[in-house]
Amino acid sequence: MSILKIAWRSIQHRGLGSLLTVISMALGVMMVVSVLSINGLVSRSFRNNSSFGYDLIVGARGGGTQLTLSSVFFLGRAIETIPYEYYLAFCDKETRSKEFRNSIAYRGNEEQFRALEALNAVRMAPGSAGWGAIAEGLATDFLNRHQTAFMQIDERGLFSNYVNFAVPILLGDTYQIENSDAYFKVCATNRDYFDKLTLGEGKKFELASGRFFDNDDSEVGYFGCVMGALVAKTSGKKVGDQIKVTHGIPGESGAHIHDQLFTITGILAPTGTPNDRVVFANMEGFYLINDHVKPVVESTGINLRPDRDEAKSLADEGTKPGVELSDEELSTVRLPVEQRELTALLVSVFDEEGFGLAAQYLQQPIEQGNLASTLNWSKFRPLQAQTSAQCVNPVQEVMRLFVYFVEPAKWILLALTTLICVVSGLSILVGIYNSMSQRQHEIAVMRALGARRSHVMLIMLTEAIMLALAGGLIGWLGGRALNVALSPIVERQTGVPVRFWDFAPAEPVFAVLSPLLGNSDFASRLVKFQMSPELLLIPGLIILAVLVGVYPAISAYRTDVAKSLGK
Amino acid sequence: MLELKNVKKAFIQPDGSKTPILDLPEYNLKAGEQAALIGPSGCGKTTLLHIIAGIVRPTSGSVKIDGVEITKFSEATRDRLRANKVGYVFQTFNLLPAFSALENVMLGMAFSSGRASSTRARELLQRVGLGHRLSSRPKMMSVGEQQRVAVARALANRPKILLADEPTANVDPANQQQVIDLIRNNCRQEGVALLLVTHAMNVAEQFERVDRLDEINRVVAAARGVA
Repeated sequence: MSILKIAWRSIQHRGLGSLLTVISMALGVMMVVSVLSINGLVSRSFRNNSSFGYDLIVGARGGGTQLTLSSVFFLGRAIETIPYEYYLAFCDKETRSKEFRNSIAYRGNEEQFRALEALNAVRMAPGSAGWGAIAEGLATDFLNRHQTAFMQIDERGLFSNYVNFAVPILLGDTYQIENSDAYFKVCATNRDYFDKLTLGEGKKFELASGRFFDNDDSEVGYFGCVMGALVAKTSGKKVGDQIKVTHGIPGESGAHIHDQLFTITGILAPTGTPNDRVVFANMEGFYLINDHVKPVVESTGINLRPDRDEAKSLADEGTKPGVELSDEELSTVRLPVEQRELTALLVSVFDEEGFGLAAQYLQQPIEQGNLASTLNWSKFRPLQAQTSAQCVNPVQEVMRLFVYFVEPAKWILLALTTLICVVSGLSILVGIYNSMSQRQHEIAVMRALGARRSHVMLIMLTEAIMLALAGGLIGWLGGRALNVALSPIVERQTGVPVRFWDFAPAEPVFAVLSPLLGNSDFASRLVKFQMSPELLLIPGLIILAVLVGVYPAISAYRTDVAKSLGK
Repeated sequence: MLELKNVKKAFIQPDGSKTPILDLPEYNLKAGEQAALIGPSGCGKTTLLHIIAGIVRPTSGSVKIDGVEITKFSEATRDRLRANKVGYVFQTFNLLPAFSALENVMLGMAFSSGRASSTRARELLQRVGLGHRLSSRPKMMSVGEQQRVAVARALANRPKILLADEPTANVDPANQQQVIDLIRNNCRQEGVALLLVTHAMNVAEQFERVDRLDEINRVVAAARGVA
């Protein structure tokens, strides 16, 4: 009969006590496994998401971390907005030209151009010499004042030479699921979001069904949207369904549901990223929602479009003033530049060397603004809006977030759960110790039958290890089950689904020992060595079991056979 | 087979003084010989068995089992020797409650040098009439049955000597003779020397050799004024 069997029989004999000890250990291990794997997966997802193929986030001045969290992870609130012209500063000539020709400024000046043409006609008319001089003077003055601005309309954006792309996003609205308190963030953007951004490691967005919306979609106009996998799963919506978005956060003051309907053109395949819990709306449609029209600074002589009705009448050349536009017609109207704002721009910097230096050099000029020259700005934007942007490196922000918040929180959680494990381990000690008086007699019998002290010590240790391993195994499986149970909550909060077999990601688990290891080659290799911390659980539990089993084992070792036989 | 010479044992009291328990000038047992050891309570019977089994070391003197002087050995060596050469039947049987009858017998083999053989254990249990209760736990068995398992366990390692410490003290009178017969017959069958401690004169009288420890133990004899 082996030591293993003797220890197992002893565990069986103390059935209830052993079971409680195992459950206690299992609960501790379950917590550790769950914390390790969820924390690890969410951390990895954070790291992956911070490298979506862009290097800079341009957003309103404020906390860089807040900008990163809201723009990359769709967490928390967006800080403020920045003028749309920031986006145009990154665009090519064609896009800028198209956008600016739809601007209030251009259209205002267009009217003056038409007036100028009329004056010119007067000047050229026979017998109107005096009027002609006045008209010529007006035309010259106008051209002097506006030539630069109009010339720049047909130029590349100030930063366009330095970037691969810039994707605009607008945040702040939500999609609340019908008859439920659950809601998801809405991110208004354009087609570039899906075409140019990646899901970490170069993976492209994929659709589970439907298609991505086009910026000017032939089927749904400007009112298309794509749903993240989790949103679609939770809401039960399908391609072709229509949804309404809520202005702000449901339940908060000022929040209300917009009348505008967005048609779902596609549903994203699960990405394991925060994109799963977001509704992506076409920003052109988003801009046309009443509350999203930015009022412009008062000016003179130019026909402003402070609201939707005026915007649509000016945009639709063929529409006579005062004629009501149908919703269908309305969906073809584009909001002028001056009334557009952005939450952030996700910018991929052209960096031939690949050292990230280009992004650094670009940061300062972007923050300095200097966008006034793009158009006669001051008439439409508050002056301070020119320098309202900050430029952050998402990777740096995420790393800072890790160093200051996520890592310490992880260690605190880990310390607490490890403490639970140690307490559970102590329960093994207590369990064995409490049965020592009965065991001493059994040990004495075994000793009388020829068992050596080392045998009984080994039996005790084996029993402790078996209890710890049983608790560990059950706890490990329990932890995995807990992960699956918690997955919907974790996924909703972070966008990361946690599956049964998702191990805690590998990390340099021995790095914490570096102060003790010295500077040898082996030490440095050990410190750099990466493995899933879950794999340390089994050896950790064995060590714990040996530690807690040592006392009863020594007690068994010291058992006085002659005395104990008489008991 | 068993040779004791000038074996003395004294226990140290908490105040440091020594209390002599045993002083045995000579005590021998031949191979296969059976002897009953009698004497009043406190005359050192159990202590003598513990010394022979190597559980405690005598304060002085020589103990040889099968020609091997055991007092010079380390505790671990004495344990091994006990596992291989000595069988022990306790007054309270001392079966381990977590183990079945078969496992209790095999437990006796677990610590010896040889391999634990379930065939041998089964055979022994058959011989003591418990072939049908191999998987029964001690609490499911009668007192008599438990003692029979204890006998089988003591013989499991084919010892040279079997030490029985009042094996019938806890057995009802109806079964006492059965237990004695069982022990004696099996020892005879296996060629094992038997030293059986008992209070019961009717048990002792069945043995060809009966030793009175209160007479041969000088400590007790001196106290009684016999020596």
